[in-house]
Amino acid sequence: MLRRRLDDTGRATCDILRELDPEANSPLVHASRHGDAADTLTMLENLQRGDPISPARFSMSVHNAILGVHSISRSHHRPLQALGACGDEFDAILYEAYGYLIEGHPAVVGVFSEGPLPPTYEGYTEHPGTACVVGMRLTLHQGRPLTATKPAHRARPTPVTVMNWLDGDTAYLDGRHRWQLGQE
Amino acid sequence: MSENYNLTLELKRLIIDTLELEDVDPSDIDPSAPLFGEGLGLDSIDALELGLALQKQYGIKLDADAEETRQHFASLEALQSLVEARRVN
Repeated sequence: MLRRRLDDTGRATCDILRELDPEANSPLVHASRHGDAADTLTMLENLQRGDPISPARFSMSVHNAILGVHSISRSHHRPLQALGACGDEFDAILYEAYGYLIEGHPAVVGVFSEGPLPPTYEGYTEHPGTACVVGMRLTLHQGRPLTATKPAHRARPTPVTVMNWLDGDTAYLDGRHRWQLGQE
Repeated sequence: MSENYNLTLELKRLIIDTLELEDVDPSDIDPSAPLFGEGLGLDSIDALELGLALQKQYGIKLDADAEETRQHFASLEALQSLVEARRVN
């Protein structure tokens, strides 16, 4: 029943969270640079016209709304964190995940999403040009090792950049660090 | 009778459209079943959303905290009685 409050990006985010944390047992970190820009803009336009705003949309306008809906629908009681980091979301997810891991959580799920950008904002901010979501299950000792070195140029990866890197299209991912995946 | 029936269907559609109940058909809504919690399973945010829709559609203003509002929202039948009694448009 709660799913109806989510847009496509929110639904994809929850699908990934459910897939990567089926037992609802891991801390979850969700990052999005702009969050739900489309509904937020609709509400601002309503306010400008003096029209009332939708309580349901308002309830979903906070950055942690998707995690909130997910946690209610899955009875998830572990830590949840929603981040926006001006283009540093990928690095921020890893910092936060690392914190939970060294605290003793066996795994952390990080999801990075961008919703569609309303045409009004085009040209005013960086955006991957499409709605997109990518998720990762992070542990300290299993799976492919992730290493960080200093990048030649700092970059601001989007979920699409991260997907291309995870697909092996690029050898590394530049953010605040240069991230590289080793072999298992 | 047919006017009654039309309003019943109109309210069902209002509920489905306003609350984006994607998998619910008008025939799924039992007029005497609870709308909130049990029954249709709506929550407090839906109640606010529905209150706003009643204001826009029928000009009915409700006090969100009043006990009588709770009664008006008890079922589709109760909601229909409210609209019949208090609609201004």
